[in-house]
Amino acid sequence: MIEIRNLHKSFGSLEVLKGVNLSLEKGKVLVIIGPSGSGKTTLLRCMNLLEMPNAGSLKLGDSNLSFDGGRKPGKKDVLKLRQNTGMVFQSYNLFPHKTAIENVMEAQVVVQKRSKEEARSRSAELLAKVGLSGKEDAYPHELSGGQQQRVGIARALATNPEVMLFDEPTSALDPELVGEVLKVMKQLAAEGMTMVVVTHEMKFAAEAADTVVLMGDGVILEQGPPAQVLNRPSDGRAAEFLNLLTEKER
Amino acid sequence: MDDRKIQILIDSLWPMIKAGLQFTIPLTLIAFALGLVLAIVVALVRLWKIPVLSQIAGIYVWIIRGTPLLVQLFIIFYGLPTIGIKFDPFMAAIIGFTLNMGAYNSEIVRAAIQSISKGQWEAAYSLGMTRGEALRRIVLPQATRVSVPPLSNSFISLVKDTSLAYTITVVEMFQVSKQVSAVTYEPLLIYCEVAVLYLVLCTVLNALQNVMEKRLARFSTR
Ligand SMILES: Nc1ncnc2c1ncn2[C@@H]1O[C@H](COP(=O)(O)OP(=O)(O)OP(=O)(O)O)[C@@H](O)[C@H]1O
Ligand SMILES: [Mg+2]
Repeated sequence: MIEIRNLHKSFGSLEVLKGVNLSLEKGKVLVIIGPSGSGKTTLLRCMNLLEMPNAGSLKLGDSNLSFDGGRKPGKKDVLKLRQNTGMVFQSYNLFPHKTAIENVMEAQVVVQKRSKEEARSRSAELLAKVGLSGKEDAYPHELSGGQQQRVGIARALATNPEVMLFDEPTSALDPELVGEVLKVMKQLAAEGMTMVVVTHEMKFAAEAADTVVLMGDGVILEQGPPAQVLNRPSDGRAAEFLNLLTEKER
Repeated sequence: MDDRKIQILIDSLWPMIKAGLQFTIPLTLIAFALGLVLAIVVALVRLWKIPVLSQIAGIYVWIIRGTPLLVQLFIIFYGLPTIGIKFDPFMAAIIGFTLNMGAYNSEIVRAAIQSISKGQWEAAYSLGMTRGEALRRIVLPQATRVSVPPLSNSFISLVKDTSLAYTITVVEMFQVSKQVSAVTYEPLLIYCEVAVLYLVLCTVLNALQNVMEKRLARFSTR
């Protein structure tokens, strides 16, 4: 489903991704962990081209893009890839001038040209799926953080993407609201959604991930099943980072 | 106040209101609407740094904001005909005020668009929207709300500034008051009367602005 080869990304003279290789099968959940500034967000944003990689290649679904030699995909390829991925943001980024259901309808109407009625009924289903029946007509500022993020998930699902990308979806939430969002994500995973999740929630990583990737300084330090990466890291730096995390949790 | 003065006030009222309806208000509405379209185009061209066009837009804003409106009107109406470009007075006024509004409002629109967080663009892009779709559906509606107060101010200034059109022989409200004052020899009375008319117009517009702000406040931007 996803195949990333030798991906490089720099911001000016700062090289943030230094040749990342990654692959993920359909229906699997990949969790990316790593210290702040290691390039997790950048890697995720390269997967829907919110950041344009400088070199390497990206296969996702039936998009097959190469960035070598300064190549950039055409507009159509970019739009196609983005419609095939859904992104959930740390700060939700809901559209504040639209109600919950309008947020979910928006891309269906504007991008997929579905009729309003069709979009509305599908959006109501999606909101029900994330446990927000009855909140259809609420504006984002009338919802709690956890509810907003669940609208964010429903909105990202609305275009039927093959892959869902999550960038620290729970780290802006009060601790008591984290659970409701993780629950929705686990449910998605159980339904066979292909997911890439950047998170600091080690419990989620341990329980929901098929593969855990540990990033450090623009490269992948460790990659493997959660039990292996989280409990027996072979890399020194990886062990250090995980120690730090477990200390924090204590 | 004696009867004669009251009669003059009453007699001059309709001609002034008529001039307002015929010229002041249409001039304001047309110039503001066209100016707003121009302002949005100029703001986007500059925000998106479109080569050549953004430089031209920058120079345009610089010139309009750096020279008196009166001088601009004179150049358009009295100056351009000498090189064969002629407009009737109303047309010249429309052009002058539109260019003026376009330049000033482009800064308002630009600031309003910039005040919308990058996350809104990214959310729209992540859903597969094009830049135009993101702009129309997501960013402009929010920017509109931010820009209603400053744009209303500029609209109300425009209402008053249209009185300058008298200098290029447009028979708008102030021009009529000047004519009436000249025949009645009652400048204080007549100019106060026209002042009241402008005041009423601006007060009504202020009230409309408040209604609009309330309606747009249904949602709040975080
Ligand atoms: N648009 C940008 N322009 C310049 N530098 C950037 C940009 N985005 C990210 N960076 C830099 O790239 C590096 C990696 O950033 P990134 O956000 O990918 O890290 P992260 O692993 O997601 O960190 P965190 O855990 O704090 O979210 C950082 O040094 C950051 O400052
Ligand atoms: Mg990050």
